[in-house]
Amino acid sequence: MELFKPDFGLIFWMFVAFAILFFVLWKWGWPAIMKGVEGRADLIDKGVEYAQNAKEQLDNARKQADSYIAEARKHQTEILREADRMKTQIIDEAREAAQQEARKVMEQAQLSIQQERKQAELQFRNEVSALAVDIATKVVRGEMGDEKAQSRLVDSLLDDMEKQN
Amino acid sequence: MKKLLAIILSSVFILWALPCMAAEAHGGEEEGKVDAKEIIFEHLGDRYGWEVPFCHDKSIPLPIILWGHDGLHCFMSSKVEHGRTYVDGDATFRVAGADSEHKGKIVEIIDGKEYRPWDISITKNVLGLFIAVVLVIWSILDVARWHKRNGYKAPRKFTGAIETLITFVYDGVIRPTLKDRAMKFAPYLLTVFFFILYMNLLGLIVVFPGGANLTGNIAVTLVLSVFTFLLTNVIGTKHYWKEIFWPDVPLWLKFPLPIMPVIEIFGALTKPAALTVRLFANMLGGHMIILVLTLLIFIFAAMGPAVAGGMTVISVGFSVFMLLIDVLVSFIQAYVFTMLSTIFISFGQERGHDEGHDDGGHHHDKPVAGSDGHHAATV
Repeated sequence: MELFKPDFGLIFWMFVAFAILFFVLWKWGWPAIMKGVEGRADLIDKGVEYAQNAKEQLDNARKQADSYIAEARKHQTEILREADRMKTQIIDEAREAAQQEARKVMEQAQLSIQQERKQAELQFRNEVSALAVDIATKVVRGEMGDEKAQSRLVDSLLDDMEKQN
Repeated sequence: MKKLLAIILSSVFILWALPCMAAEAHGGEEEGKVDAKEIIFEHLGDRYGWEVPFCHDKSIPLPIILWGHDGLHCFMSSKVEHGRTYVDGDATFRVAGADSEHKGKIVEIIDGKEYRPWDISITKNVLGLFIAVVLVIWSILDVARWHKRNGYKAPRKFTGAIETLITFVYDGVIRPTLKDRAMKFAPYLLTVFFFILYMNLLGLIVVFPGGANLTGNIAVTLVLSVFTFLLTNVIGTKHYWKEIFWPDVPLWLKFPLPIMPVIEIFGALTKPAALTVRLFANMLGGHMIILVLTLLIFIFAAMGPAVAGGMTVISVGFSVFMLLIDVLVSFIQAYVFTMLSTIFISFGQERGHDEGHDDGGHHHDKPVAGSDGHHAATV
């Protein structure tokens, strides 16, 4: 059976052909391909990892944003409440201050009214006395030469009047 | 444009083939009978010169290179075609006839006797090998060039297909089996895979660039399995050799009579033999079936036109089916050869993970460190 007898020439050339093929591919073929394939696999792995990280970060960011919004809302309500409270407080304070001021003004007014009255009374008395003296002078000039006796009489009369008041 | 070119090419081809076929038919009438066995073995075997398609008695001449009793002789195979004798200096050569023990091979005639010279002719099979080598180099360098030029982009079309095959074999077989040693042996194993695949597929093409029955030739498969055998044993680890000569079995199995070592050595030698025969027989079988199915037409031709016509339809149908099966087989056999080579090499690469209990478990941490150091040294 010639089919089962390996032929020397073919074995020789097979060695040569395979050696050449292996050398060429080992030198210029496989390393580049292996490097490329591995590099691409790494790149894809890295890409997936990156995407996962990005998604995680995005989720985190969203969560954080939500928490910020919630906090801000809380803050807002607090501020509003505070403002409300302050408003009332200011109004109260203002009212109180106004009342105090009003009271003070009234007191001063009363004080000044009293003073005025006293002054007015004093003035009035002086004027009245001066007037009375004048009148008496005019009345009495003719009748009473002694001015001193006259004014004493008038004084005593006025005192009586006062006592009557 | 492509279509036009195809039409022109095929019409030229047919015009040129017709006279050839006519001559063939004429010759066939003269012989009268079809010698099926002869035709089958002629197609399966090697020959000087490559037959022109559809034209049995013309062939593309190929160089014959011989080392005879007086030195080197080179001439074209057309010189010894059709049983002619060729005289080159003092030496006379011819292709041995059917009754000779060197049937179909070139012989030197000295004093009327036939001697077989050292013959390294570029025969049909050798040229087929070179064609396969060129095609493999071209396809693989195409992928390599892509990776150099385009960085991490995904290749498409042919380049993508080849790369898919590469990763299929590398990720599917080589890496899971050899693990950290994968990169070391991948170049050899991938080369073997593509070489066998291309040789298988070229063998299925009927006309010129293909048609050489390469992987169905025992010399080719023998050389490939010898390479695997050498890689397994020459780069084999200490543990591998210990497993062969002093395996972990009861003493009586290995001491006075080395039963286990003999079995192990026999096993080591059987592996390449199995590789050789498996690929050779599978591809040879496939080729033989297709040849027989085609020849059925000619065998049944003697039984009248009706039988011959019916048989033609059946046998062409079966041939097409078998060829499709053979395309699958071509891939599977290349894959199986690569897979078995990987497994055999991985046997040779075994490291003693349980070396600790051999020396009584005294240094339980030492084998680990040792194997690590070994690994670092070899990678």
